[in-house]
Amino acid sequence: MSISQAVETTGDGSGSEFRRGVASCAPVLFGTIPYALVLGAQATQKGLSVVELPVMTGLNFAGGSEFAAIQLWTSPPHIVLIVAITFLVNSRHLLMGAALAPFLRHLPRRKMFPALFFLCDESWALGLADARQRAAAGIIPAFSPRYYMGAALAMYLTWLTFTTTGALLGPMLGDVETYGFDMAFPAVFLVLMRGMWKGMAAARPWLVSLVVAALAYLFIPGAWYVAAGAVSGLVSAWLMAGDA
Amino acid sequence: MIDPATLLTIVLMAGVTYLTRIGGYVVLRNRVLGARATAVMEAAPGCVLISVIAPAFVSRHPADLLALAITFAAATRLSMLPTVLLGVASAGLLRHFIG
Repeated sequence: MSISQAVETTGDGSGSEFRRGVASCAPVLFGTIPYALVLGAQATQKGLSVVELPVMTGLNFAGGSEFAAIQLWTSPPHIVLIVAITFLVNSRHLLMGAALAPFLRHLPRRKMFPALFFLCDESWALGLADARQRAAAGIIPAFSPRYYMGAALAMYLTWLTFTTTGALLGPMLGDVETYGFDMAFPAVFLVLMRGMWKGMAAARPWLVSLVVAALAYLFIPGAWYVAAGAVSGLVSAWLMAGDA
Repeated sequence: MIDPATLLTIVLMAGVTYLTRIGGYVVLRNRVLGARATAVMEAAPGCVLISVIAPAFVSRHPADLLALAITFAAATRLSMLPTVLLGVASAGLLRHFIG
């Protein structure tokens, strides 16, 4: 069911709004499960325990940054590197929150601060699309907090449950690289990047990042290739944006 | 079960992630970003993601490079689940048969 149909066929009952959010998130949940299982399995192979991994996925709840952190994980972890990479991967939330903000003016901050803990690509996209549909249909207020929370909590519980399941199954699977599971990382990242694609010109900084990171990986010991690639890409984005 | 350094890393990760979630709402909602700042913000996630997987692009194993090419092609036209399945299956099979 499309979002517009959902808007037309449901009333304003709070329970039905929540269920409408869960339902519209369902297709995304199925796509998330294998990705969560792989993250959990890979994390245990990097030395995270079955308790530590759900603490990470439950408190941080941002898949892209968790994949990056696990990829870079050592024992003991390189704290500054991992926290900096987490910030860079999740910096898109700043733009997402800014885009959502005009729809949230009627809601008190004390309600939005806990709700925004659950902001992720999926809950943001669904919540914003729904608010735009409702605004176009003349429904005031356009943003439905319960619809957003339905999608967000469904996503949260799925992520926490299946990353933990992956961590439990990981030791039984042995070395996941033998089966090719490590290819899930490039697969997930490339699909996420396609979702961010805004044309060749906007993607030039990504190419700079790729080349610099690959060279740094080949010639500089340690995990600095991520920082080197990311920073060179951001600098080139700044330079390529021209005079403004 | 919980290593102190691991816990500290996770708590700091969670802290900066939460700041990115509320930051846009709190700071940016009444402002308009400049063109350069917007360009950098939009490029940032992709720059980080591609940097993390850059080692796969310079692998010394032909099987891995071939699997990556298949995954890349899949990612340009398929959704998340089929891309992941195709990537994992091609890497597993190619490593088995090519090495």
